Amino acid sequence: MREVFLPGSLEELWRCFEERPQAAVYAGGTDLLVGTYNGMLNPETLICLDRIEELKGVGDRGDNVRIGSCTTHTQLLEESLVQNHLPALWRAIAGIGSPLIRNMGTIGGNICTASPAGDTLPPLYTMKAEVELRSKGGARLMPIGDFVTGPRATRLHGEEVLAAVWVKKPVEYNLHHFEKVGLRNALACSVVSMAALLRLAPDGLVEKAALAWGSVGPTIITCREAEEALIGGKLTAASLGEAAAIVRKAVNPISDVRADADYRRTVAGNLLLRLTVAN
Amino acid sequence: MRISFYLNGKKTDVEVPPDRRFVNVLREDLGITGTKDGCGAGECGSCTILVDGHARLSCLMAAVQLQGRQVTTIEGLAADGTLHPVQEAFIEYGAVQCGFCTPGVILAAVHLLNQNPDPTREQIRVGLSGNLCRCSGYVKIVDAVEAAARKIREGKLR
Amino acid sequence: MSIKMLEIGYPTPRFDALAKVTGEEKYAVDHTREDLLWAGTKRAGLAHGIIRGINMSEAWALPGVYAVLTRNDVAGTNRQGIVHKDQPVLAGRKVRHCGDPVALVLAEDRDTLKKALSLIEVDFEPLQGVFDPEEALKPEAPLVHETGNLLKKAVVRVGNAIDAFNECDIVVEDSFEVPGQEHAFIETENGLAWLEPDGGIVMIVSTQAPFRDRFEIAHALGLEVDAIRIIAPYLGGGFGGKDGATVQCLLALAALHAGGRPVKMCWEREESFIAGYKRHPVRMRYRLGSMRDGTLHALQCGLIYDTGAYAHLGVEVMALGMEHAGGPYRIPNTLIEGWCVYTNNPISGAMRGFGVCQVSFGIERMMDLLASKLGMSRLDIRLKNALRRGDRNCAGVTLVHSTGIVPCLETLGRHCLWTESGKWKAAAGPFKRRGVGIAAVSNAMGYGRGLPDSAIAQVELTREGKIRVYGGVADMGQGNASAFIQMAGEILRQDASRMEIVQPDTDLTHPSGSSSAGRTTYTYGNALIQACKELKEKLLHRAALVLMLDETHGLTLLPGTIRHLPSGRDVPLDLLGRTFPETDRIAVNQFVMPVAQDNIDAAREFKIGFPHVFFSYAAHLAYVEVDELTGKIDVKGYFAVTEGGRVINPTGFEQQVHGAVSQGLGYGLMEEVLLEQGRILNPNFTGYIIPTSLDVPEVTSICVETVESTGPFGMKGIGEVGTNAPLPAIAGAVEDAAGCRLRRSPLTAASVLRATGRGCGVDG
Repeated sequence: MREVFLPGSLEELWRCFEERPQAAVYAGGTDLLVGTYNGMLNPETLICLDRIEELKGVGDRGDNVRIGSCTTHTQLLEESLVQNHLPALWRAIAGIGSPLIRNMGTIGGNICTASPAGDTLPPLYTMKAEVELRSKGGARLMPIGDFVTGPRATRLHGEEVLAAVWVKKPVEYNLHHFEKVGLRNALACSVVSMAALLRLAPDGLVEKAALAWGSVGPTIITCREAEEALIGGKLTAASLGEAAAIVRKAVNPISDVRADADYRRTVAGNLLLRLTVAN
Repeated sequence: MRISFYLNGKKTDVEVPPDRRFVNVLREDLGITGTKDGCGAGECGSCTILVDGHARLSCLMAAVQLQGRQVTTIEGLAADGTLHPVQEAFIEYGAVQCGFCTPGVILAAVHLLNQNPDPTREQIRVGLSGNLCRCSGYVKIVDAVEAAARKIREGKLR
Repeated sequence: MSIKMLEIGYPTPRFDALAKVTGEEKYAVDHTREDLLWAGTKRAGLAHGIIRGINMSEAWALPGVYAVLTRNDVAGTNRQGIVHKDQPVLAGRKVRHCGDPVALVLAEDRDTLKKALSLIEVDFEPLQGVFDPEEALKPEAPLVHETGNLLKKAVVRVGNAIDAFNECDIVVEDSFEVPGQEHAFIETENGLAWLEPDGGIVMIVSTQAPFRDRFEIAHALGLEVDAIRIIAPYLGGGFGGKDGATVQCLLALAALHAGGRPVKMCWEREESFIAGYKRHPVRMRYRLGSMRDGTLHALQCGLIYDTGAYAHLGVEVMALGMEHAGGPYRIPNTLIEGWCVYTNNPISGAMRGFGVCQVSFGIERMMDLLASKLGMSRLDIRLKNALRRGDRNCAGVTLVHSTGIVPCLETLGRHCLWTESGKWKAAAGPFKRRGVGIAAVSNAMGYGRGLPDSAIAQVELTREGKIRVYGGVADMGQGNASAFIQMAGEILRQDASRMEIVQPDTDLTHPSGSSSAGRTTYTYGNALIQACKELKEKLLHRAALVLMLDETHGLTLLPGTIRHLPSGRDVPLDLLGRTFPETDRIAVNQFVMPVAQDNIDAAREFKIGFPHVFFSYAAHLAYVEVDELTGKIDVKGYFAVTEGGRVINPTGFEQQVHGAVSQGLGYGLMEEVLLEQGRILNPNFTGYIIPTSLDVPEVTSICVETVESTGPFGMKGIGEVGTNAPLPAIAGAVEDAAGCRLRRSPLTAASVLRATGRGCGVDG
């Protein structure tokens, strides 16, 4: 019989980890429980983080926003800190799954599942977010780009929990953009996605750029070369087209039931052109 | 394991494995069949229930997660025999065809209207985008929710 | 106080809506009984192979397993099927598709059932499979059935198409391909069955054909038909996928081996994909010729229907497709050839739009092609050739009944959504291209020739003075139960609170055919009207008796009563109910749908299901926006004009139109059963996607009313016609928007980008 623990605090969670080091951990269950109930996964023990208040909530930390890992997507959409300071992330979260999925799924789950199509990831990468990993022994911070190592693979240790995501408020940018491409308009797994943070000077010259793509590689793809190609110029079809060509060489998409690699590669570049009309 | 929660306002105890899928607890252990199980993977929304007033997918909840919670199923919506305005509107506006998705859609709509009492049609569509309906094309469902929202607002003004 | 009576033509709420909004409605899947066993099926998992052995010992040994059954436990023919009995209940010698059932397990609970199924090992000798219908037609192809892979080759012809092409001023050619579509009803295939003390089987099942199910079960398992009782509650969707035995034979088999315990079988979503029926994938080659002024003169097409591992209704689907291959147009010379082919793919069967959905794509795209070559408007070329009453259609049938495609097209053409569409298109935003497309479609109603399209209605005055209708046809959401209540209420002058309906139950109601083919409201409705008229006469006479009147003039039915208008005296209906015996309070009547009288050659090739003589019509307009960067197609608006005779319930009519458009939109844009060597790659709602509330736009629905004089209150069934138009209308709109002519569905963003050769303006 499968055990399910429902710890009410981090203290209790450490005890659960001690008793069941092999336990599978979830908050909303919108990924783990699907696999568990359909038999793809067979964890002997489940730990549900839903009752641990310490893992929830969004805090203003001056230069940073600290997002509790077990904050649901719906809660994040209602959070003015996210709406006002992290608009690209907000836009990405608004497109995840459906309202029902968003009511249950959490940002921590989205990160730890580490699907290349995880919609919170591209914006978090552009903002160089850091994950706060906690264990009984303490806490450590890690850049998200180091934390995610491959599709569905992270550096989370056995008795560690992703406690929070720290996002430095991207005040140095004035254009926050996210676009997701799916096969339908809701309940759609991203086929290609792109987050873009730019700083445009009053005359329109690009001074700073942070770009990240989802669903076009084993993990989120960033492309310094494309960013640098944009800096110093204006956002025109020509300059974006050049950057797009660079990006198409940087991405490494696969073909699957949703889309083929060619489409993903082409669109990953095309999405840059949307920046000419982004606000 | 003994799980204790409030089902439509009534304290309810069940003896089930802690990981038992909650939609099965409702449908099979408690015989409450208004909540449906259409896909088992959170993709169709027919298993929608309200947990502490929030719409959730009961096919993706382990029984133990409901410990102590207030669960509302479609059966609990009509307070003392009076239909909820959403239920009435669904009848009046032709939003019910085969009806299998209906309980889930209604609960999602109730949650939506609790959060946003004056939604646009687009916002209604967003709010119901996790509930698949194969019969209706959604238009009359949106009509019904819009009408229910109006009725609720008018009721509050009196 | 005024009582709202039931009236034809009034927007009327569904009679069963209350039970559905409160969760009280019990679908088949909601039924349970004490001491239940769960039954489940071991599926082949291999597309083609010989069964060498089945290792069940571990499954048998698992605590909680009650029985494991194989083909050896099936008495009878072990063959099910609606027309062709070629499908095993449990595979004995070989399996022909991945979903073929090999063993049946009975267990105490679902978890044990799942575990037991996983413990069964089937030893197969794999056979080479054939997954392409054209490959399957080659002489060296592996044989799916001993009788050969060609289930049916047929020809429908009128005039002399080959010669007629020489007379044409312009000839266009093209080919098209459409994949399989899943019904995706939210309530999956399921049922509950038990043995009565006398050995009879009772089954509550989600089915479109309760009366026929008995015959399928009896033939398959060697039982007596009248020892099987089928109860058909409201279905949580059917769309054709529950027409023909799904769980029925397996469940009956389980019930026979359950030691008297009730057995429940419920296909989870994945099993529903793997084992359930699909819309036929079809390949089409079209050649269409016309005169310079757009008058159609010759049509030749070749249609290949992949019917999968078993026939189901494959021949009938192809027959209907061939009958509609020329669209709702006058084409004096046609040569339509069809091949219905077995492969080791999943079973293709009945689905809303039954063969017509596919060819509508073909002919409508050809009409657009012709229009563009001739420099004619897409609307004008359709109007010019649209069938009128009295014309012969492409199958050679004379349209003696209501034929409303012309008013549909005219209505569409006059509507601002068409006339102002240019303005909308011009307002496309950055990176967006806008276009509109139209489609003209029809869909036959009824079974066609070769078998009686019959229904038997019973209506009764209950002891309590209520009117009870004994429904013979299942309601899968189309609302026919409500329509019957409305009709009976109209004739018997009652309001909804005095009406009752019994859903089909082979013990209580009468054989009335399947819930399919757009036929139920028409055929059962006609029988019901006669029965109600009979009952009305009877009740008026009995009331005259009670009131000691020497004639029935002046007597009228009103809610709850019969009133003698001259004297104002009332005879309450419940008084009549208590006064007269049950046998005197019943009226039973049968109706058989008229058939085509033309002598058509092809009708000899198709024993059943061809040709038809009643058609509903529609003209649709799609507003589409294509994104240049992603290729994504968004349907921004949709307009449907439908002709189905008179409208019984405007709300019900609209519901059917909206739903058909939504399914057609899914078919057009996002639905495809993806196959690889016969295996479904997307057997779930994550990989197989249907439209959400954000994918279907506002749909404007207008009805054009004609009178179908043979129909109940002048109506015809419109359940299917709307499904046939969205794919071609959207394809036409995409071509209008982006200049690309897509020939395959679904119309994906990737196919748009490929076709438009769009990188992002710079090399890609």
